[in-house]
Amino acid sequence: MQDRPTAPELLEALAELLFTDVREWVPRERRFQVLVAANVCAVVARELRAGREPTLADLALFGELAEGRPAPAPDSEEEGAAACEAARRLSRSIRAGELDQELPAVIDRLRDHVRRKLDIARPGYAD
Amino acid sequence: MSGPDHDLPGAVRAALAETLGRDPGEVELSPIPGGASRQTFLVEGEAGRWVLRRDPPGAGSFTPLAVEFGLIRAAAAAGVPVPAVLHFVPEGGCFGTSGFLLDHVDGTSVAPRLLRRDEYAGARERLPAQLAQGLARIHAIDPTDLDEVPAPEGDPALTACELWERELDAIGEPLPAVEAGLRWLRLHPPESPARIGLVHGDFRLGNFICDPGGLAAVIDWELCHLGDPAEDIGWLTIRSWRFGNDELPVAGMGELGPFLDAYEAAGGERPSPERLRWWEAMGNVKWAVICARQAHDHLTGARRSAELASLGRRICEPEWDLLALLSEGAG
Repeated sequence: MQDRPTAPELLEALAELLFTDVREWVPRERRFQVLVAANVCAVVARELRAGREPTLADLALFGELAEGRPAPAPDSEEEGAAACEAARRLSRSIRAGELDQELPAVIDRLRDHVRRKLDIARPGYAD
Repeated sequence: MSGPDHDLPGAVRAALAETLGRDPGEVELSPIPGGASRQTFLVEGEAGRWVLRRDPPGAGSFTPLAVEFGLIRAAAAAGVPVPAVLHFVPEGGCFGTSGFLLDHVDGTSVAPRLLRRDEYAGARERLPAQLAQGLARIHAIDPTDLDEVPAPEGDPALTACELWERELDAIGEPLPAVEAGLRWLRLHPPESPARIGLVHGDFRLGNFICDPGGLAAVIDWELCHLGDPAEDIGWLTIRSWRFGNDELPVAGMGELGPFLDAYEAAGGERPSPERLRWWEAMGNVKWAVICARQAHDHLTGARRSAELASLGRRICEPEWDLLALLSEGAG
Protein backbone atom coordinates (compact mmCIF):
# COMPACT_ATOMS: atom_id res chain seq x y z
CA MET A 1 0.00 0.00 0.00
CA GLN A 2 1.21 3.47 -0.90
CA ASP A 3 0.45 6.55 1.18
CA ARG A 4 -2.02 9.22 0.05
CA PRO A 5 -2.28 10.95 -2.34
CA THR A 6 -3.48 8.07 -4.49
CA ALA A 7 -2.35 7.78 -8.11
CA PRO A 8 -5.38 9.67 -9.52
CA GLU A 9 -5.06 12.32 -6.81
CA LEU A 10 -1.43 12.88 -7.77
CA LEU A 11 -2.29 13.12 -11.45
CA GLU A 12 -5.05 15.62 -10.65
CA ALA A 13 -2.56 17.74 -8.69
CA LEU A 14 -0.18 17.62 -11.64
CA ALA A 15 -2.98 18.56 -14.06
CA GLU A 16 -3.85 21.56 -11.87
CA LEU A 17 -0.24 22.71 -11.79
CA LEU A 18 0.02 22.45 -15.59
CA PHE A 19 -3.35 24.10 -16.27
CA THR A 20 -2.58 27.07 -14.00
CA ASP A 21 1.02 28.02 -13.12
CA VAL A 22 2.99 26.25 -15.87
CA ARG A 23 0.61 27.55 -18.52
CA GLU A 24 1.42 31.09 -17.38
CA TRP A 25 5.18 30.47 -17.29
CA VAL A 26 5.64 29.19 -20.84
CA PRO A 27 5.72 31.41 -23.91
CA ARG A 28 2.38 31.67 -25.69
CA GLU A 29 3.38 29.61 -28.73
CA ARG A 30 4.25 26.65 -26.44
CA ARG A 31 1.07 26.75 -24.36
CA PHE A 32 -0.69 24.20 -26.50
CA GLN A 33 1.83 21.54 -25.47
CA VAL A 34 1.27 22.34 -21.78
CA LEU A 35 -2.48 21.95 -22.27
CA VAL A 36 -1.88 18.60 -23.98
CA ALA A 37 0.19 17.47 -20.99
CA ALA A 38 -2.40 18.70 -18.49
CA ASN A 39 -5.19 16.98 -20.39
CA VAL A 40 -3.28 13.67 -20.51
CA CYS A 41 -2.92 13.79 -16.70
CA ALA A 42 -6.66 14.42 -16.32
CA VAL A 43 -7.53 11.57 -18.72
CA VAL A 44 -5.32 9.07 -16.93
CA ALA A 45 -6.71 10.15 -13.54
CA ARG A 46 -10.27 9.47 -14.78
CA GLU A 47 -9.20 6.12 -16.23
CA LEU A 48 -7.69 5.03 -12.91
CA ARG A 49 -10.81 6.11 -11.02
CA ALA A 50 -13.10 4.23 -13.43
CA GLY A 51 -11.29 0.95 -12.71
CA ARG A 52 -12.05 -2.30 -14.57
CA GLU A 53 -15.76 -1.71 -15.20
CA PRO A 54 -15.63 0.01 -18.63
CA THR A 55 -13.26 -2.61 -20.04
CA LEU A 56 -15.38 -5.48 -18.72
CA ALA A 57 -18.50 -3.90 -20.23
CA ASP A 58 -16.74 -3.62 -23.62
CA LEU A 59 -15.54 -7.21 -23.38
CA ALA A 60 -19.12 -8.38 -22.82
CA LEU A 61 -20.49 -6.18 -25.62
CA PHE A 62 -17.91 -7.25 -28.23
CA GLY A 63 -18.51 -10.93 -27.46
CA GLU A 64 -22.27 -10.48 -27.72
CA LEU A 65 -22.06 -8.69 -31.07
CA ALA A 66 -19.52 -11.05 -32.66
CA GLU A 67 -20.53 -14.40 -31.19
CA GLY A 68 -24.04 -13.80 -29.87
CA ARG A 69 -22.99 -14.17 -26.24
CA PRO A 70 -20.83 -12.13 -23.88
CA ALA A 71 -17.18 -13.17 -23.89
CA PRO A 72 -16.35 -14.91 -20.59
CA ALA A 73 -14.86 -12.50 -18.06
CA PRO A 74 -11.17 -13.22 -17.49
CA ASP A 75 -10.18 -14.44 -14.01
CA SER A 76 -7.45 -12.01 -13.19
CA GLU A 77 -6.28 -8.59 -14.32
CA GLU A 78 -6.12 -9.51 -17.99
CA GLU A 79 -9.35 -7.91 -19.14
CA GLY A 80 -7.42 -5.34 -21.20
CA ALA A 81 -5.81 -7.98 -23.42
CA ALA A 82 -9.06 -9.98 -23.56
CA ALA A 83 -11.08 -6.92 -24.65
CA CYS A 84 -8.50 -6.10 -27.30
CA GLU A 85 -8.72 -9.65 -28.66
CA ALA A 86 -12.55 -9.49 -28.63
CA ALA A 87 -12.43 -6.12 -30.45
CA ARG A 88 -10.19 -7.73 -33.06
CA ARG A 89 -12.61 -10.63 -33.62
CA LEU A 90 -15.57 -8.26 -33.86
CA SER A 91 -13.69 -5.99 -36.30
CA ARG A 92 -12.91 -8.98 -38.54
CA SER A 93 -16.56 -10.10 -38.51
CA ILE A 94 -17.78 -6.64 -39.46
CA ARG A 95 -15.21 -6.29 -42.26
CA ALA A 96 -16.09 -9.74 -43.64
CA GLY A 97 -19.76 -8.74 -43.90
CA GLU A 98 -20.90 -11.37 -41.37
CA LEU A 99 -22.95 -8.77 -39.46
CA ASP A 100 -24.42 -6.92 -42.47
CA GLN A 101 -27.97 -8.04 -41.64
CA GLU A 102 -27.89 -6.44 -38.19
CA LEU A 103 -25.48 -3.60 -38.98
CA PRO A 104 -27.81 -0.76 -37.81
CA ALA A 105 -28.17 -2.51 -34.44
CA VAL A 106 -24.40 -3.11 -34.23
CA ILE A 107 -23.80 0.59 -34.91
CA ASP A 108 -26.31 1.50 -32.23
CA ARG A 109 -24.78 -0.85 -29.62
CA LEU A 110 -21.22 0.29 -30.39
CA ARG A 111 -22.24 3.80 -29.34
CA ASP A 112 -22.19 2.45 -25.75
CA HIS A 113 -18.55 1.39 -26.25
CA VAL A 114 -17.59 4.78 -27.69
CA ARG A 115 -19.43 6.56 -24.88
CA ARG A 116 -17.37 4.64 -22.34
CA LYS A 117 -14.20 5.86 -24.03
CA LEU A 118 -15.50 9.45 -24.13
CA ASP A 119 -16.40 9.32 -20.41
CA ILE A 120 -12.66 8.93 -19.78
CA ALA A 121 -11.14 10.94 -22.62
CA ARG A 122 -13.64 13.77 -23.16
CA PRO A 123 -16.52 13.93 -20.67
CA GLY A 124 -19.53 15.80 -22.04
CA TYR A 125 -18.72 15.19 -25.72
CA ALA A 126 -21.56 12.68 -26.14
CA ASP A 127 -24.22 14.88 -24.49
CA MET B 1 9.65 17.60 -33.63
CA SER B 2 13.33 17.49 -34.51
CA GLY B 3 15.20 20.75 -34.72
CA PRO B 4 16.69 22.12 -37.90
CA ASP B 5 19.76 20.33 -39.21
CA HIS B 6 23.10 21.90 -38.43
CA ASP B 7 23.74 23.16 -41.98
CA LEU B 8 20.13 23.76 -43.04
CA PRO B 9 20.07 27.54 -42.43
CA GLY B 10 23.07 27.95 -44.73
CA ALA B 11 21.40 25.87 -47.44
CA VAL B 12 18.22 27.92 -47.15
CA ARG B 13 20.20 31.18 -47.34
CA ALA B 14 21.94 30.00 -50.52
CA ALA B 15 18.66 28.83 -52.09
CA LEU B 16 17.02 32.16 -51.26
CA ALA B 17 19.98 34.08 -52.73
CA GLU B 18 19.59 32.09 -55.96
CA THR B 19 15.81 32.66 -56.14
CA LEU B 20 15.75 36.29 -55.08
CA GLY B 21 18.89 37.30 -56.95
CA ARG B 22 20.37 38.78 -53.77
CA ASP B 23 21.79 37.40 -50.54
CA PRO B 24 19.13 37.64 -47.79
CA GLY B 25 21.84 37.56 -45.10
CA GLU B 26 21.84 35.18 -42.18
CA VAL B 27 18.56 33.35 -41.58
CA GLU B 28 17.22 31.49 -38.58
CA LEU B 29 14.98 28.44 -38.82
CA SER B 30 12.36 27.41 -36.28
CA PRO B 31 10.05 24.43 -36.70
CA ILE B 32 6.34 25.17 -37.15
CA PRO B 33 4.38 22.40 -35.42
CA GLY B 34 1.54 20.58 -37.18
CA GLY B 35 1.30 19.10 -40.64
CA ALA B 36 0.62 15.41 -41.12
CA SER B 37 3.87 14.24 -42.67
CA ARG B 38 5.93 17.24 -43.80
CA GLN B 39 8.44 19.27 -41.83
CA THR B 40 7.70 22.99 -41.95
CA PHE B 41 10.12 25.69 -40.80
CA LEU B 42 9.69 29.41 -40.37
CA VAL B 43 12.70 31.12 -41.99
CA GLU B 44 13.52 34.57 -40.56
CA GLY B 45 16.17 37.03 -41.62
CA GLU B 46 16.77 40.77 -41.80
CA ALA B 47 15.42 40.80 -45.35
CA GLY B 48 12.14 39.05 -44.66
CA ARG B 49 10.32 35.88 -43.66
CA TRP B 50 9.79 32.69 -45.65
CA VAL B 51 8.68 29.12 -45.08
CA LEU B 52 10.55 25.89 -45.86
CA ARG B 53 8.59 22.69 -46.37
CA ARG B 54 10.44 19.43 -46.76
CA ASP B 55 10.01 15.68 -46.35
CA PRO B 56 11.21 14.35 -43.00
CA PRO B 57 14.28 12.10 -43.34
CA GLY B 58 13.33 8.52 -44.17
CA ALA B 59 9.57 9.05 -44.43
CA GLY B 60 7.32 8.66 -47.43
CA SER B 61 4.33 10.88 -48.08
CA PHE B 62 0.93 10.65 -49.71
CA THR B 63 1.55 13.26 -52.42
CA PRO B 64 5.19 13.77 -53.47
CA LEU B 65 6.54 17.19 -52.51
CA ALA B 66 7.29 18.06 -56.15
CA VAL B 67 3.61 17.48 -56.97
CA GLU B 68 2.54 19.65 -54.02
CA PHE B 69 4.78 22.42 -55.36
CA GLY B 70 3.09 22.22 -58.78
CA LEU B 71 -0.37 22.11 -57.21
CA ILE B 72 0.15 25.31 -55.25
CA ARG B 73 1.22 26.99 -58.51
CA ALA B 74 -1.92 25.68 -60.27
CA ALA B 75 -4.09 26.89 -57.39
CA ALA B 76 -2.53 30.37 -57.56
CA ALA B 77 -3.23 30.50 -61.29
CA ALA B 78 -6.86 29.54 -60.61
CA GLY B 79 -7.26 32.48 -58.21
CA VAL B 80 -7.10 30.52 -54.95
CA PRO B 81 -5.27 32.51 -52.24
CA VAL B 82 -2.05 30.57 -51.56
CA PRO B 83 1.50 31.44 -50.46
CA ALA B 84 3.75 32.17 -53.45
CA VAL B 85 6.05 29.18 -54.06
CA LEU B 86 9.67 30.11 -54.74
CA HIS B 87 12.13 27.29 -55.15
CA PHE B 88 11.99 23.49 -55.27
CA VAL B 89 14.98 21.25 -54.53
CA PRO B 90 14.70 17.47 -55.12
CA GLU B 91 15.81 14.69 -52.78
CA GLY B 92 19.57 14.68 -52.19
CA GLY B 93 19.92 18.41 -52.85
CA CYS B 94 20.85 21.17 -50.42
CA PHE B 95 17.86 20.53 -48.12
CA GLY B 96 18.81 16.83 -47.68
CA THR B 97 15.34 15.49 -48.43
CA SER B 98 13.22 17.17 -51.10
CA GLY B 99 11.89 20.57 -50.08
CA PHE B 100 10.62 23.91 -51.29
CA LEU B 101 10.54 27.53 -50.15
CA LEU B 102 7.42 29.67 -50.00
CA ASP B 103 6.67 33.26 -49.17
CA HIS B 104 5.54 33.78 -45.59
CA VAL B 105 1.91 34.90 -45.31
CA ASP B 106 1.07 37.16 -42.36
CA GLY B 107 -1.85 36.20 -40.15
CA THR B 108 -2.76 33.13 -38.14
CA SER B 109 -4.12 29.68 -38.88
CA VAL B 110 -4.65 28.82 -35.20
CA ALA B 111 -8.34 27.87 -34.81
CA PRO B 112 -9.01 29.11 -31.24
CA ARG B 113 -7.53 32.52 -32.06
CA LEU B 114 -9.63 32.87 -35.20
CA LEU B 115 -12.77 31.74 -33.41
CA ARG B 116 -12.47 33.77 -30.20
CA ARG B 117 -10.40 36.93 -30.65
CA ASP B 118 -12.07 40.27 -31.26
CA GLU B 119 -9.56 41.29 -33.93
CA TYR B 120 -10.88 38.46 -36.15
CA ALA B 121 -14.59 39.32 -35.76
CA GLY B 122 -14.70 40.71 -39.31
CA ALA B 123 -12.73 37.74 -40.64
CA ARG B 124 -15.29 35.37 -39.08
CA GLU B 125 -18.09 37.17 -40.94
CA ARG B 126 -16.33 36.92 -44.29
CA LEU B 127 -14.52 33.59 -44.07
CA PRO B 128 -17.33 31.10 -44.90
CA ALA B 129 -18.13 32.80 -48.24
CA GLN B 130 -14.41 33.20 -49.01
CA LEU B 131 -13.89 29.50 -48.32
CA ALA B 132 -16.81 28.60 -50.59
CA GLN B 133 -15.34 30.66 -53.41
CA GLY B 134 -11.81 29.32 -52.88
CA LEU B 135 -13.06 25.75 -52.81
CA ALA B 136 -15.13 26.21 -55.98
CA ARG B 137 -11.98 27.50 -57.70
CA ILE B 138 -9.92 24.52 -56.50
CA HIS B 139 -12.61 22.16 -57.78
CA ALA B 140 -12.67 23.94 -61.14
CA ILE B 141 -8.94 23.31 -61.79
CA ASP B 142 -8.66 21.04 -64.81
CA PRO B 143 -7.43 17.69 -63.46
CA THR B 144 -6.13 16.58 -66.86
CA ASP B 145 -3.25 19.04 -66.40
CA LEU B 146 -2.23 17.30 -63.16
CA ASP B 147 -1.13 13.82 -64.14
CA GLU B 148 0.97 13.05 -61.07
CA VAL B 149 -1.77 13.74 -58.52
CA PRO B 150 -3.06 10.50 -56.91
CA ALA B 151 -6.26 9.43 -58.68
CA PRO B 152 -8.97 6.95 -57.61
CA GLU B 153 -8.83 3.55 -59.31
CA GLY B 154 -12.59 3.48 -59.74
CA ASP B 155 -15.45 5.07 -57.82
CA PRO B 156 -14.00 7.66 -55.39
CA ALA B 157 -16.29 6.63 -52.51
CA LEU B 158 -15.26 2.97 -52.68
CA THR B 159 -11.64 4.01 -53.22
CA ALA B 160 -11.86 5.98 -49.95
CA CYS B 161 -13.30 2.90 -48.14
CA GLU B 162 -10.39 0.80 -49.39
CA LEU B 163 -7.80 3.44 -48.52
CA TRP B 164 -8.88 3.72 -44.87
CA GLU B 165 -9.38 -0.06 -44.48
CA ARG B 166 -5.80 -0.55 -45.68
CA GLU B 167 -4.52 2.14 -43.34
CA LEU B 168 -6.38 0.54 -40.38
CA ASP B 169 -4.78 -2.80 -41.23
CA ALA B 170 -1.33 -1.19 -41.43
CA ILE B 171 -1.80 0.34 -37.96
CA GLY B 172 -3.05 -2.95 -36.54
CA GLU B 173 -5.13 -1.65 -33.61
CA PRO B 174 -8.75 -2.91 -33.60
CA LEU B 175 -11.35 -0.10 -33.87
CA PRO B 176 -14.74 -1.85 -34.15
CA ALA B 177 -16.71 1.43 -34.23
CA VAL B 178 -14.69 2.65 -37.23
CA GLU B 179 -15.09 -0.77 -38.88
CA ALA B 180 -18.87 -0.65 -38.43
CA GLY B 181 -18.99 2.86 -39.89
CA LEU B 182 -16.79 1.89 -42.83
CA ARG B 183 -18.93 -1.17 -43.49
CA TRP B 184 -22.09 0.95 -43.58
CA LEU B 185 -20.43 3.46 -45.90
CA ARG B 186 -19.26 0.66 -48.21
CA LEU B 187 -22.80 -0.74 -48.40
CA HIS B 188 -24.41 2.67 -49.07
CA PRO B 189 -22.08 4.65 -51.38
CA PRO B 190 -23.39 7.72 -53.20
CA GLU B 191 -23.69 7.50 -56.98
CA SER B 192 -20.41 8.14 -58.78
CA PRO B 193 -19.97 11.93 -59.02
CA ALA B 194 -20.85 13.77 -62.22
CA ARG B 195 -17.21 14.78 -62.55
CA ILE B 196 -13.89 13.89 -60.96
CA GLY B 197 -12.23 17.02 -59.64
CA LEU B 198 -9.17 18.13 -57.74
CA VAL B 199 -9.76 17.56 -54.01
CA HIS B 200 -7.61 19.54 -51.55
CA GLY B 201 -7.87 16.71 -49.03
CA ASP B 202 -7.30 18.76 -45.87
CA PHE B 203 -9.55 21.79 -46.38
CA ARG B 204 -10.44 22.71 -42.78
CA LEU B 205 -9.95 25.31 -40.08
CA GLY B 206 -6.26 25.07 -39.15
CA ASN B 207 -5.18 25.14 -42.79
CA PHE B 208 -6.50 28.63 -43.54
CA ILE B 209 -4.16 31.53 -42.84
CA CYS B 210 -6.37 34.51 -42.03
CA ASP B 211 -5.78 38.16 -41.32
CA PRO B 212 -8.42 40.58 -40.02
CA GLY B 213 -9.78 40.81 -43.60
CA GLY B 214 -10.44 37.07 -43.76
CA LEU B 215 -8.83 34.36 -45.91
CA ALA B 216 -5.20 35.13 -46.82
CA ALA B 217 -4.01 31.65 -47.89
CA VAL B 218 -5.05 28.01 -48.11
CA ILE B 219 -2.12 25.84 -46.97
CA ASP B 220 -1.12 22.17 -46.49
CA TRP B 221 -1.73 20.70 -49.93
CA GLU B 222 -0.02 17.40 -49.13
CA LEU B 223 -3.23 15.31 -49.11
CA CYS B 224 -4.41 16.58 -52.51
CA HIS B 225 -5.89 13.98 -54.86
CA LEU B 226 -8.49 13.52 -57.57
CA GLY B 227 -11.97 12.54 -56.48
CA ASP B 228 -15.48 13.65 -55.60
CA PRO B 229 -15.41 17.41 -54.82
CA ALA B 230 -18.06 16.80 -52.11
CA GLU B 231 -15.29 15.08 -50.12
CA ASP B 232 -13.76 18.49 -49.29
CA ILE B 233 -17.08 19.87 -48.02
CA GLY B 234 -17.75 16.78 -45.89
CA TRP B 235 -14.28 17.01 -44.31
CA LEU B 236 -14.57 20.78 -43.78
CA THR B 237 -17.78 20.32 -41.80
CA ILE B 238 -16.91 17.44 -39.42
CA ARG B 239 -17.47 18.41 -35.79
CA SER B 240 -13.75 18.24 -34.91
CA TRP B 241 -13.07 21.25 -37.16
CA ARG B 242 -15.77 23.35 -35.49
CA PHE B 243 -13.54 23.57 -32.40
CA GLY B 244 -16.43 23.76 -29.92
CA ASN B 245 -18.81 25.88 -32.04
CA ASP B 246 -20.77 22.72 -32.76
CA GLU B 247 -23.84 24.45 -34.20
CA LEU B 248 -21.88 26.08 -37.04
CA PRO B 249 -20.65 23.38 -39.45
CA VAL B 250 -18.53 25.65 -41.68
CA ALA B 251 -15.28 26.14 -39.73
CA GLY B 252 -17.28 26.85 -36.55
CA MET B 253 -18.28 30.16 -38.16
CA GLY B 254 -21.06 29.62 -40.68
CA GLU B 255 -24.21 27.69 -41.54
CA LEU B 256 -24.15 25.09 -44.30
CA GLY B 257 -26.95 26.61 -46.45
CA PRO B 258 -25.32 29.99 -47.16
CA PHE B 259 -21.98 28.23 -47.69
CA LEU B 260 -23.45 25.95 -50.36
CA ASP B 261 -25.19 28.93 -51.96
CA ALA B 262 -21.86 30.75 -52.21
CA TYR B 263 -20.12 27.59 -53.48
CA GLU B 264 -22.76 27.18 -56.18
CA ALA B 265 -22.63 30.90 -57.10
CA ALA B 266 -18.84 30.53 -57.59
CA GLY B 267 -19.35 27.67 -60.03
CA GLY B 268 -19.31 24.63 -57.72
CA GLU B 269 -21.85 21.85 -58.16
CA ARG B 270 -24.16 21.69 -55.12
CA PRO B 271 -24.00 18.16 -53.67
CA SER B 272 -27.14 16.43 -52.39
CA PRO B 273 -27.62 16.22 -48.59
CA GLU B 274 -27.12 12.43 -48.79
CA ARG B 275 -23.82 12.78 -50.64
CA LEU B 276 -22.63 15.39 -48.13
CA ARG B 277 -23.63 13.25 -45.16
CA TRP B 278 -21.76 10.28 -46.66
CA TRP B 279 -18.57 12.35 -47.02
CA GLU B 280 -18.98 13.92 -43.56
CA ALA B 281 -19.22 10.39 -42.12
CA MET B 282 -16.18 9.37 -44.19
CA GLY B 283 -14.41 12.48 -42.88
CA ASN B 284 -14.93 11.17 -39.37
CA VAL B 285 -13.52 7.78 -40.41
CA LYS B 286 -10.51 9.56 -41.84
CA TRP B 287 -9.88 11.69 -38.74
CA ALA B 288 -10.28 8.65 -36.44
CA VAL B 289 -7.76 6.66 -38.50
CA ILE B 290 -5.34 9.61 -38.71
CA CYS B 291 -5.48 9.95 -34.89
CA ALA B 292 -4.73 6.23 -34.60
CA ARG B 293 -1.87 6.55 -37.11
CA GLN B 294 -0.28 9.47 -35.26
CA ALA B 295 -0.48 7.66 -31.90
CA HIS B 296 0.98 4.58 -33.60
CA ASP B 297 3.88 6.63 -35.01
CA HIS B 298 4.68 7.64 -31.43
CA LEU B 299 4.44 4.05 -30.18
CA THR B 300 6.70 2.62 -32.89
CA GLY B 301 9.27 5.35 -32.21
CA ALA B 302 8.91 6.77 -35.72
CA ARG B 303 8.03 10.14 -34.15
CA ARG B 304 8.15 10.25 -30.34
CA SER B 305 5.79 12.98 -29.16
CA ALA B 306 3.40 13.36 -26.24
CA GLU B 307 1.09 15.34 -28.52
CA LEU B 308 0.89 12.50 -31.05
CA ALA B 309 0.47 9.98 -28.23
CA SER B 310 -2.47 11.94 -26.83
CA LEU B 311 -4.28 11.73 -30.19
CA GLY B 312 -4.84 8.02 -29.50
CA ARG B 313 -7.38 9.10 -26.90
CA ARG B 314 -9.16 11.41 -29.35
CA ILE B 315 -10.13 8.58 -31.72
CA CYS B 316 -13.41 8.25 -29.81
CA GLU B 317 -14.53 11.80 -30.74
CA PRO B 318 -14.87 11.25 -34.52
CA GLU B 319 -16.05 7.69 -33.76
CA TRP B 320 -18.97 9.15 -31.81
CA ASP B 321 -19.84 11.62 -34.57
CA LEU B 322 -19.54 8.87 -37.21
CA LEU B 323 -21.93 6.53 -35.44
CA ALA B 324 -24.33 9.42 -34.64
CA LEU B 325 -24.47 10.44 -38.32
CA LEU B 326 -25.10 6.86 -39.42
CA SER B 327 -27.73 6.22 -36.74
CA GLU B 328 -29.66 9.23 -38.05
CA GLY B 329 -29.68 7.77 -41.56
CA ALA B 330 -29.36 4.01 -41.08
CA GLY B 331 -32.98 3.38 -40.03
